[in-house]
Amino acid sequence: MPDPPRVELLQGTLDLLILRTLLPGPSHGHAIAKHIQRTSEELLQVETGSLYPALHRLEAKGWISASWQLSDKGKRARYYRLTASGRKQLAKEQSRWQTLSRAIGLVLNPTGQEGQ
Amino acid sequence: MKALFRKLAWLTHRRDKEAELRAELEFHLGEESEERMSEGWSPAEARLEARRELGNMTRVAEETRAAWGWTLAEQFAQDLRYALRNMASNKTFSALAILSLTLGIGANTAIFSFMDSILLRSLPVDHPERLVILSFWTKENEVHGMNMHDDSFLPAKTGYGDSVFSYPAFAMIQSNNRIFSDVFGYQGAGDLHFAAGDRAEIARTEYVTGNYFQALGVPPAAGRLIVHDDDRAGAGPVAVISYALSQRRFGSVENATGKSVHINQHPFTVIGVTPPHFFGADPAMAPDVYIPIHSILTLAGEGFARQSFTDANTEWIVTMARLRPGVSRAQAQDVLAPQLAQWMRTVNIARNRADLPRLIIRDGGAGLNGVRYQYSRPLLILLVLVGLILILACANIANLLLARATARRREIAVRLGIGAGRSRLVRQLLTESVVLASAGGAMGILFAIWGIRFLTALIGNGQENFTLHADLNWHVLAATAGLAIATGLLFGLTPALQATRGDLLPALKESRTSGGLARGSGTGKLSRGLLVLQMALSLVILVAAGLFVRTLNKLESIQLGFNRENVLTFSLNATQAGYRDAEVFDFYGKLRDRFAGVPGVRGASLSDIRLVGGRMFTGVSVSGDEPRASLVVSVGPDFLSTMQIPLRLGRELEQLDMTHSHISAMVNQEFVKRRMGGQNPLGQFVSFGSAACAKCSAEIVGVSGNAMVGRDVTDEFRPVVYVPYTMNVWGGLRDMYYELRTAGDPMSLAGKVRELVREADPRLPVSDMQTQRSVIDGTMNREVIFARLCTGFAVLALLIACVGLYGSMSYNVARRTGEIGIRMALGAPRRTVIWMVLGEVLLLASVGLAIGIPAALMGSKLVKSFLYQTEPHDPLTMAVAAASLLVAAILAGYLPARSAAKIDPISALRHE
Repeated sequence: MPDPPRVELLQGTLDLLILRTLLPGPSHGHAIAKHIQRTSEELLQVETGSLYPALHRLEAKGWISASWQLSDKGKRARYYRLTASGRKQLAKEQSRWQTLSRAIGLVLNPTGQEGQ
Repeated sequence: MKALFRKLAWLTHRRDKEAELRAELEFHLGEESEERMSEGWSPAEARLEARRELGNMTRVAEETRAAWGWTLAEQFAQDLRYALRNMASNKTFSALAILSLTLGIGANTAIFSFMDSILLRSLPVDHPERLVILSFWTKENEVHGMNMHDDSFLPAKTGYGDSVFSYPAFAMIQSNNRIFSDVFGYQGAGDLHFAAGDRAEIARTEYVTGNYFQALGVPPAAGRLIVHDDDRAGAGPVAVISYALSQRRFGSVENATGKSVHINQHPFTVIGVTPPHFFGADPAMAPDVYIPIHSILTLAGEGFARQSFTDANTEWIVTMARLRPGVSRAQAQDVLAPQLAQWMRTVNIARNRADLPRLIIRDGGAGLNGVRYQYSRPLLILLVLVGLILILACANIANLLLARATARRREIAVRLGIGAGRSRLVRQLLTESVVLASAGGAMGILFAIWGIRFLTALIGNGQENFTLHADLNWHVLAATAGLAIATGLLFGLTPALQATRGDLLPALKESRTSGGLARGSGTGKLSRGLLVLQMALSLVILVAAGLFVRTLNKLESIQLGFNRENVLTFSLNATQAGYRDAEVFDFYGKLRDRFAGVPGVRGASLSDIRLVGGRMFTGVSVSGDEPRASLVVSVGPDFLSTMQIPLRLGRELEQLDMTHSHISAMVNQEFVKRRMGGQNPLGQFVSFGSAACAKCSAEIVGVSGNAMVGRDVTDEFRPVVYVPYTMNVWGGLRDMYYELRTAGDPMSLAGKVRELVREADPRLPVSDMQTQRSVIDGTMNREVIFARLCTGFAVLALLIACVGLYGSMSYNVARRTGEIGIRMALGAPRRTVIWMVLGEVLLLASVGLAIGIPAALMGSKLVKSFLYQTEPHDPLTMAVAAASLLVAAILAGYLPARSAAKIDPISALRHE
């Protein structure tokens, strides 16, 4: 099975993606990874080796909290949920990222000037 | 804060956390393989693929754990365990390093704390910087003073100086309120009989002027202090007591206030207590009781009381002043000196007109402190020596750590080779050094505390009321500990720094064959340099010790003109029990007779000063000629025979001379030589310049050999006149010293003496009981301290240097085992191996000597003024010091050399 084309995650963006994924509601590690993969149309592949350290780091910072719950398949899984400060952090990170990507977009596609 | 609690909570649930993490990852694997199975994989393949996907599980777990934030602490604990294990496995190394730190930190802190308390601390009073001491100097001393003749502020042998003024002079200075806001004074009243209720004790008492406390700016701890109105003739008798006495006698300061007490049988009221940190204007005196100076009218003998406030020749008030703001010491001196000179010319003063006292205004912020001047220079010298020891200790630590670093190069290289992080390695070495340094530092503090106690005991040598208050100085402790520990850290890091330099391969390949104090390598040179430095410094300290020991020996062998052995002396003051005038003489005389009758006593006499313990000058004229300064000693019967001073001519003063109206006197040979041109003195008359005895004259009936009357054994033989104590030449009936010549150990009679005094009058305490020898040893206190301390330092220095040498050589030999094995296998005899090691030691020691000897020659000039009949470049001392150093170095080198010779070539080679 040929691997789909992938992009490397930029440093520090995994945290943002995790926080964003948890916005609708609690989820466990495996589901988070799958969700990111799916919604990025398989362009982003989350390494398990960096997912769990990232989750625990976010937990240590107090942006997400964890609890053991039964999964939809009836197994015990560790569910992460966004905390209030995590929500604030998400907003901050998101606007920062959008500013950054817009800025990079402007540089890469200088539409206004190139036309002349 | 919240984060911290969360971390702490996690820490307590450490084990649960681990299990949780495993479960979480397990769940992930389950989900992953299930997903693959739903895509049509076989369960085994799915599981395997999921594992592959997850990667190294342990690593994931490890990295996740890192996110918990406890790794640093964990690693620290690990480092700590490793460091402790390392220390335990290198016991000798650890012990030596800790010992070096202890000695370096402890000795320095102790000595410096002492210096600080003596030299640097100001009086605990208001604005101490504006206080001054008024002093004067003259070329020759002609008027008798009451003070201890404190001329320490003058350069040696340039005349006489003192800080006491007559009451009229004091009043004249006090009237000058343009430069001084206050002029105040005091004088010790001695150890007086102090009775409160039914308990009596001896209390050190001081006369103070009415403005004393107000001028110093000292607030009372309770009640009120002496004020101007208390200090006049006829005022109610009041006393202020020290905080310590109030606690000791009355339990609290409040209790003490208002109490009626008796001082020398005279009623006084305690009106207040001084604050706990106040020890008087002369901290070395530390009086227990302060009374107004006009109390002298009641307490002192009539003669002195009469003259003390009117006679311009009776100098007795230690005078201090507080400068007005904006007036400098020099300005004050410029204004006051001519005024005082002018005043001296107008009053009838019994001084040589060409040699009137010249005023010197000195800084008084630290008080008039005899101890301060006596010990300031010696302590500086000691400080230099201890500083050298600190350098030695630091060099030692550096060297030991360097040697270990070399030995550990391979270990470090291996650890780096298998992937240890460089910063992690540095952190671990740092931990080791910190552990070592902390242990050394802690021991250093203990040593410092002990050292201060030891020094107090040493410097206070036998003085009952020694009142030097040295506390541990935390600044100094911090500074010395900082220095020593920084050295430890710096050199502790060498292995890491070396390892980060260049690549690992040479170190990894390095076997035990190569190296040692790796010839030519930077470390080897540094290490050898440090060893040479240690040798040189040790030599300097050894030489200093040698010089002081020689000086002490010379002092002890000085001929004093009397027999100092087997004499018991003690002091009594009959006026304390209320005896007056003739009763006093009678009491003293009868007591002497009783002592003379005690079995084991071969002779008994008394005198107003002890030989080598004090001196009193006054102008003495012979057959009416111009009076010149002579020493006058008041003695009882049989003084010469008791002290075993030879009689040269005529007869000595006997029992009859004490009561006869025709006064007889004895002079010494020096008096005959200097004052009478060697003519026959018998039958000539001497008269005295003392105000109390202006008209007394005495006929010379005997000539004694020269005996030392002076402050210490190095004083010169001066003209001395011995007069009967009943003549009361000073006017003040005072305490007398008894001298008992004994057959055996003088102190064995102490009990009998106290018993006899109690029988004679139970109210009278015996004080200051000691042998004549210990009186003399007391005057050599400084030299004894120097000799003892420096010998101690020298041993310390040698020890430290040898420890360094031994440590370095042992490492050297251990690392060269292979090489030595090869040499021996090739036929080198054991002797050659021993000499190979010893040769290196001797080379280091010789270079050390070559540097140390010139350094010692230069350094010893600095201590010249402390030496007595010993040249700073004393060849014997130099030779002994150099020889001791060489012997010590060979001893330190012999053990490693012997272990090198014991190397078995076969096992050494197999080891490769």
